[in-house]
Amino acid sequence: MTKDTVFRQEFPVKGGDFSRAGEVSWEIKNLLKELGLSTPVVLRAAIASYEAELNIIMYAWEGRLVLSVTPGRVHVVVEDSGPGIEDIELAMTEGYSTATLEMRELGFGAGMGLANIKKNTDAFLITSEVGRGTRLELTFLTNGQRP
Amino acid sequence: MTDNTRHSVQINPEKCIGCVHCMIACPTKAIRIKNGKALIIDELCIDCGECLRFCPQDAVESMTTSFSDLKAFPYKVVIPATVLYGQFDNTTLPNEILFALRRVGFDYVYELSTICELNNTALEMYLATHPKPRPFISSTCPVVIRLIQRRFPSLCEHIVPIEPPRENAAKILRANLPRMTKVPASNIGIFHITPCPAKMVSINHPASMEKSYLDGAISIRDIFKTIYQTLRQSKEDTIMAHLFPETIFSGTGVGTALSGGETRGLKNHRTVAVSGVRDTIRVLNQVELGLLKDVDLLECTVCPDGCIGGPLTVENRYLAKSRILRLVSIMGERTVVDSSDMNLLYHKDFLSFHHPIAPLESPPLDADPAQAISKANRRNEIFQRLPRKDCGACGAPDCRTLADDIVRGLAALDDCPFAKKEET
Ligand SMILES: Nc1ncnc2c1ncn2[C@@H]1O[C@H](COP(=O)(O)OP(=O)(O)O)[C@@H](O)[C@H]1O
Ligand code: SF4
Ligand SMILES: [Mg+2]
Repeated sequence: MTKDTVFRQEFPVKGGDFSRAGEVSWEIKNLLKELGLSTPVVLRAAIASYEAELNIIMYAWEGRLVLSVTPGRVHVVVEDSGPGIEDIELAMTEGYSTATLEMRELGFGAGMGLANIKKNTDAFLITSEVGRGTRLELTFLTNGQRP
Repeated sequence: MTDNTRHSVQINPEKCIGCVHCMIACPTKAIRIKNGKALIIDELCIDCGECLRFCPQDAVESMTTSFSDLKAFPYKVVIPATVLYGQFDNTTLPNEILFALRRVGFDYVYELSTICELNNTALEMYLATHPKPRPFISSTCPVVIRLIQRRFPSLCEHIVPIEPPRENAAKILRANLPRMTKVPASNIGIFHITPCPAKMVSINHPASMEKSYLDGAISIRDIFKTIYQTLRQSKEDTIMAHLFPETIFSGTGVGTALSGGETRGLKNHRTVAVSGVRDTIRVLNQVELGLLKDVDLLECTVCPDGCIGGPLTVENRYLAKSRILRLVSIMGERTVVDSSDMNLLYHKDFLSFHHPIAPLESPPLDADPAQAISKANRRNEIFQRLPRKDCGACGAPDCRTLADDIVRGLAALDDCPFAKKEET
């Protein structure tokens, strides 16, 4: 065993399925705790995963979160097939949201999700292709040192 | 010897037949069946009492105070939870129940609703003067405290540092009874009458003070029959109870037997009340993710509909609830707590925690990060060999938990009759 030992698990997410909203990030949160990561890192990863999970449910058709953990870092790749994001900069703006009225009634759609993801990660990449889908790459350093 | 005061429930091996009801019902997966008997894992149990509700054999026993334990104290004081008032029929008034408790043999009976109202007022003052963090979480249900300590450690600092009414009532009695009654302090035993076994843990191992002000807690189930018979046998007491209406009841206070009872009176704050153990776990997770920052106070009670649905109650909870609501409306919204008394107690820190509540986290898969990762991988491999029937035949509540037990060295793959054998 070396410091490159990696744990990997995939979590599928179905678009539109609000009844299961939060289940994937709950599992990720518990897994990271079991792996012995410190509470602040666990919470940052859980918050970012939650927002990413919800964006798939709210906007995409289907997608998945792929978690991989090494002793030094947590990596979450979020991929979906969906409508994609036309103007990423606009989508990242705090308060910008295309959530429907129904979604807002459920308490979602404050337009803070992507900004929150960025704030809670140590490295964040987003790419998107209109009509195809969106991909996020979230990195968290386990020593708790934010660059 | 193991410390059998750590938990509030115990499995009686004579009665346990090793069925899987309690194991499946446990919300924290703290029960296993080993050698044909249910076994509670101390580190995972939060004392919610779900097992006690679901056991068809009556084999889960609550470790509450027995009548023989009371004998140790020459002067016996009792503080019944307001839930008790909902356990009798509509014609039995709270005052009659208190009279019956005196006749049963308690030297002093202290009515709790006023202190419940006092605590609500203290909560309000605390919220008004503490802008952060949000939301605060009320401290009344000891199971919620355990749950936070074990599963949501970051929320310890969200717990309002005000002791629950039962403790503050006992504290007031400890401070005054020796002088009022001339009975030496060491001869006075103070007991709560409780709808749940969890109070016993909060008395034996309090999370926010060195030592509880209570000496024990008597189960409503245990004392109900005695009270009921006394009420029937001494009809003249009923008249006396009516002729000596010396007790002041608080409608707001009695209402705290129901979910939302602590938040209802807080007119100037945004509040949310959640009841039931699974919904409580769900909402605590949301708080940990920062999703409820616009809420000032979150009241969680792990029993359905609040303490009125406690596992040691005897009456159908819907009937009990309707009686409590009726009492609340009869007693009205009138404030019985004097606000200047309240101010004084509050500012003397009389009602506060002695010390903050500290996390009690369960250990990771392994202390070494690389080892923990390998074990998590191994656990997933083991899970692949299991049938996902979640049948419980192995003695674990579901396949995933068996896989977890195996990597932690607590079980073997052979425990599952359907497992695909390991490739060699
Ligand atoms: N996976 C996605 N697929 C398509 N559009 C997305 C996706 N994620 C975010 N968006 C767009 O970006 C906007 C902002 O997202 P976010 O910051 O999470 O706020 P919110 O979800 O509250 O609207 C969304 O309203 C949506 O238009
Ligand atoms: S909700 Fe009330 S009765 Fe139930 S465990 Fe908590 S304090 Fe006890
Ligand atoms: Mg979003």
